[in-house]
Amino acid sequence: MRRRFAGLLGLGLLIASASAPGAAPALKPFERGTWQSVLRGHAGRPTLVHFWGVTCGPCKVELPLLGQFAKDHPGIDVVTISADLVPNLPAATQSMLDRAGLSSTENFIFNDGFVERLRFEIDPGWQGDIPRTMLISRDGTITTIEGSAEMTDLEKWSAQQLSTH
Amino acid sequence: MIRSGLLGIVALAFLQGTALAQMHTQHASEAACEEPTLRCATKATPAFGPDGTLWLAWMAGGQVSVASSQDAGRSFSPPTQVTTTRLNLDWGPDARPKIVVDRKGGIALAFSIFRDEAFNGQVLYTRSADGGRSFAELKPITANNESQRFEALALDQDGTVFAAWLDKRNRVPAKEAGRKYEGAGLFFASSRDGGATYAEASLARDNTCECCRLGLTFAAPGRPVVIFRNIFEGGVRDHAVMTFTDVSTPGEIHRVSNDDWQINACPHHGPSLTVAPNGTYHVAWYTNGKVRKGLFYAHSRDEGRTFSAPLALGRPDRSPTRPFVLAGPAGTVMVWKEFDGEKTSVQMTISHDDGETWSAPKTISSTTDTSDHPLLVSNGRQTYLSWMTKADGYRIAAIEDQP
Repeated sequence: MRRRFAGLLGLGLLIASASAPGAAPALKPFERGTWQSVLRGHAGRPTLVHFWGVTCGPCKVELPLLGQFAKDHPGIDVVTISADLVPNLPAATQSMLDRAGLSSTENFIFNDGFVERLRFEIDPGWQGDIPRTMLISRDGTITTIEGSAEMTDLEKWSAQQLSTH
Repeated sequence: MIRSGLLGIVALAFLQGTALAQMHTQHASEAACEEPTLRCATKATPAFGPDGTLWLAWMAGGQVSVASSQDAGRSFSPPTQVTTTRLNLDWGPDARPKIVVDRKGGIALAFSIFRDEAFNGQVLYTRSADGGRSFAELKPITANNESQRFEALALDQDGTVFAAWLDKRNRVPAKEAGRKYEGAGLFFASSRDGGATYAEASLARDNTCECCRLGLTFAAPGRPVVIFRNIFEGGVRDHAVMTFTDVSTPGEIHRVSNDDWQINACPHHGPSLTVAPNGTYHVAWYTNGKVRKGLFYAHSRDEGRTFSAPLALGRPDRSPTRPFVLAGPAGTVMVWKEFDGEKTSVQMTISHDDGETWSAPKTISSTTDTSDHPLLVSNGRQTYLSWMTKADGYRIAAIEDQP
């Protein structure tokens, strides 16, 4: 009985820690069909989708800048997707997001070993180079930035989006 | 009330547990299974020995193993594990174990690991002097501790093993001097004892793209040639070729193609190079430049100084990737992958006139789940496709010359 209670208490603590106010929402698995649900979920709202990975040098530089951008632009939905080929590093991924100030954005991690298929759903022309940013306007128009984005370009796009509201 | 609360917590905990478990299910992995066996491999690299034995090095379950086949891959010997513990092997898309087999049957091997939580890489090497029954203790290829990845090995006619890799050691002095450092250095070292020890590492070219595989072979005895994604002025990541004067002396670099891919990113998509017996360089690469996008082929008949106009490969609507080119006994063969939304196929084309004209591409293999890059390997009489797939295991098949 005591053991069972201890077990329940342990589970309770696990949940409590995961759902404590201010705690980071868990990374969501990005699987077949997720891309369409991301598009549906943000339809009508200006959305910045950022693809990155923990082993990508330029991503490490860009991620904190994006964290600041997200903080400064609450009117823009920011979504990050860790697109490293092997999704076996949720802890490292979450840790980098936390350090970049991106704990509270909607964060995904590739969770299908068949990455060709995941990428094909997003953009058949994308071969996996990261970082990569897709700017989705209110009307669904997608502008893709390959490589590190210039924050001035993001500011400009954001201003356009928010002024047309 | 309390009970239902607890049950709620339990239910939530199970749900979360299920979600976490789902993050680690097999479909989330590139591997079919987690053991060190060939069936579980994500990357497999072939090499024929001079006696016709096919050697295969693979990574699976955090280990690197080697096995041999006397019947061109229909059956393999019991594997020898090269690693003694599970390592954080470099799992980047362009990483794989490298293997060369010399005339005496000595086997030189190299691969990369992530040696810390910041994903700094380290190139390790080893050698077998007893026909693959055992391998020497793993050693770092250089004493320097800055990140190294994307090693390549090539064997000279005299048995010299030549290694090249991408190395970030020069970012340290740049940082100290307050200078920005782009990419990584192309470093090299050679071994006169069949890969038992390597000479001190030297720089061939600084500021090259840091995250693409190299293509490496010998243009002539004593003259290694390497193709790599360079960083040209303005951050343009186009390809370059360098032919060494000898194994200690880098040569000039020559641009393969002006694709104008200006990008500050990791393309994870390196080139391929082969040199025909008559000295023609054949190269294949991927770009997403302003001038051209996709897979391309070109050749050089002047030792890599100038290249033919790029020839586009594959169907643009099928995302052609991972080109590999090999000059073999029956012609020059190229393979690459295409994806149609459901399955990945390997496309093949062959040239019988040293790269002037190519046959219509033909599907020679396909799979419905993730797969390694398609590779070509020759035993001097026949060229083979070597392809590790998650759904169907390892495949090696002779390239049929007929359309």
